[in-house]
Amino acid sequence: MSFNNFAEQFPVVFSALNSGFLQTLKLFFVTLLGSLPLGLIIAFGSMSRFKPLSAVTRVIVWIVRGSPLMIQMLIIYFFPGLVLHNNIWGGGEQGRFIAASVAFILNYACYFSEIYRGGIQGVPVGQQEAGQVLGLSRSQIFFKITLLQMIKRIVPPMSNEIITLVKDTSLARIIALQEIIWAGQAFMKGSHGISGQIWPLFFTVVYYLAFSGILTLLFGYIEKKMDYFRS
Amino acid sequence: MAVLEVKNIKKSFGKTEVLKGISFSLEKGDVLSVIGSSGSGKTTLLRCLNFLEFADEGTISVNGKVIFDGASPKKLSDSVIRENRLHFGLVFQSFNLFPQYNVLKNVMLAPTLLKRDTPENIEKRARELINRVGLSDRIENYPCQLSGGQQQRVAIARALALNPDILCFDEPTSALDPELTGEVLRVIKGLKSGDSTMIVVTHEMEFARNVSDKVIYMADGVIEEYGTPEEVFGNPQSEKTRSFLNSSFENI
Amino acid sequence: MKKLLALIMSIMLVAAFAGCAGKEDNSSDYDYIKEKGTLVVGITDFAPMDYKDDDENWIGFDADMATAFANELGLKVSFVEIDWDNKVLELDSKTIDCVWNGMTLTDEVTSAMECTKAYCNNKQVVIVPADKAADYQTAESCKSLNFAVEAGSAGKDMAEENGFSYTEVKDQATALTEVAAGTCDAAIIDSLMAAAMVGEGTGYSNLTYTVGLNDEEYGVGFRKGSDMAEKLNEFFSKCAENGEMEKIAEKYGVQAALIK
Repeated sequence: MSFNNFAEQFPVVFSALNSGFLQTLKLFFVTLLGSLPLGLIIAFGSMSRFKPLSAVTRVIVWIVRGSPLMIQMLIIYFFPGLVLHNNIWGGGEQGRFIAASVAFILNYACYFSEIYRGGIQGVPVGQQEAGQVLGLSRSQIFFKITLLQMIKRIVPPMSNEIITLVKDTSLARIIALQEIIWAGQAFMKGSHGISGQIWPLFFTVVYYLAFSGILTLLFGYIEKKMDYFRS
Repeated sequence: MAVLEVKNIKKSFGKTEVLKGISFSLEKGDVLSVIGSSGSGKTTLLRCLNFLEFADEGTISVNGKVIFDGASPKKLSDSVIRENRLHFGLVFQSFNLFPQYNVLKNVMLAPTLLKRDTPENIEKRARELINRVGLSDRIENYPCQLSGGQQQRVAIARALALNPDILCFDEPTSALDPELTGEVLRVIKGLKSGDSTMIVVTHEMEFARNVSDKVIYMADGVIEEYGTPEEVFGNPQSEKTRSFLNSSFENI
Repeated sequence: MKKLLALIMSIMLVAAFAGCAGKEDNSSDYDYIKEKGTLVVGITDFAPMDYKDDDENWIGFDADMATAFANELGLKVSFVEIDWDNKVLELDSKTIDCVWNGMTLTDEVTSAMECTKAYCNNKQVVIVPADKAADYQTAESCKSLNFAVEAGSAGKDMAEENGFSYTEVKDQATALTEVAAGTCDAAIIDSLMAAAMVGEGTGYSNLTYTVGLNDEEYGVGFRKGSDMAEKLNEFFSKCAENGEMEKIAEKYGVQAALIK
């Protein structure tokens, strides 16, 4: 590749990768927004003293965590139309995005639920009892006493999982969600008049590194913020 | 009228009967020490009074009102339990301070959440209590910055903040290094006055003998000996009590 | 918390039942598409058949023909990029209505889809580095090479037929990359694509194409049993007669390959 050529191609590739990365970011944030609270609900389900509920929840968690996200996405996207004869997603970009979001939220909620469960069960039972004898309600105990101690415990495993999510978003290309890897790969086959170029695909790594770098700094900051107490 | 009346409390865990019918009563201002070897049921008794466990049988009355009846088939609702609980305060063996809050906030948390008073009054009272346990200079510190003895003194202030009718201590000095037990016992002794009724489960025989008005010696889930310190320590009626006291004082 | 969980679960159940109660397709495919008003065309970025202009609109010989066809039926048209491996799934689950993307009519394709008659010629060609092209001008001389072919493609069938040793890769573009990177000696891809992607002035200026291995044809695929294929055949005939098709083909330089 001549430098001249590269200089011409770069702006085209850059803008295509940017719009691909926008999809990546959208999927990333929508997944977090849905799976962080859903994971907590699942965690409470799996810890429930009502045995059938906790059993069902744990089986769901096992299935979702134990099977590939790529397959889950294919099932969620194609199953309604193929088997139920009622395509609920539509074929457009929006339908694909919603289907991918549903798969990611469900998948990550199950991973998060196990981290939450570990975090909640890791808080000494004495903390809860101290709240009880002070006459506090269950929700007051959870939100005012347990929650922050739990968060301190789960920040390291959560940051790990969330950085994995950044890279996992590229799996959504299996249902043709046009995230950044898709955008980069398009230039191999030919797109926007540029073909046979692999460097755009390699260049996507810069985006991933920058984003996960920002996240690493953010989580480091949060950890530092909670350094003032030990539990 | 007795401030606390406990009648025939029984409690089993699976097949193990831990409490086999405990009855006693306390007058306002009494300090009761409960002594006995490990596994005799002392801690379980305290936990039943604080509704951390539910007795299988028996009744608990405070100021003449029955607040727990093991025979009553109706299950108590969460809010009723919470209300009844407030007749008691409990200081734990392992302090259980809230690590994310400083000393002041630990003491203020429950009264604030329960809206016991105006925020200004709650803070004023919290500062008084912290002063009373001698920790005014540590008010902004977090639990991890305090010694075990200091943490336990904060825990006492925290329990007092809700003005319980009866304040319970579950082996308050057992988790402490020997040189730190004195400061905690002095604080507890300092609380003794006309209106604080206290139940102290303890291994500190000197404390039980010198500070308390009544002493219970528990063994195998029953009250083996009950009386004033002079009666229990000076003239024990039961053979079991004698041998326990002998071995206890031998150790010292 | 328990109540909330129960609520969520019941919503999911209701949704599942609502799904089961969905319409069975007893009406014709044309009626179904007519009712929703939009023809959803599954494509990949594949110049000169389907690709984006500077304003991000889909153009190309196939795209323009699809737009004309939709106009003829009074439908709107929407182009959706798909993963080529999933094209049959996309059709059957009704996320798209047709595959119109320079699709070679292989046995595999015609058995899984309702295909139109062929509208364009194509062949599978051998791609080699330009400096070695002189040595590989016949299929026989290529036998010693190690090929890269797209998985499940017509190119793979050709490699098998000619007894070449080959490696299956994700798509035709990857096959080219393999040759350019030297990880494979040669590749087999569509001639239309080869014309656009290798040689002087392309991203693969050091590659070239030599032997043509076969002759094959492009068609458009609809859902199995669809009455749309027949409608499109009629439209193709009409456009061939009135010169419309030729005009569009000239615009994209594929008129030589056209089947009239």
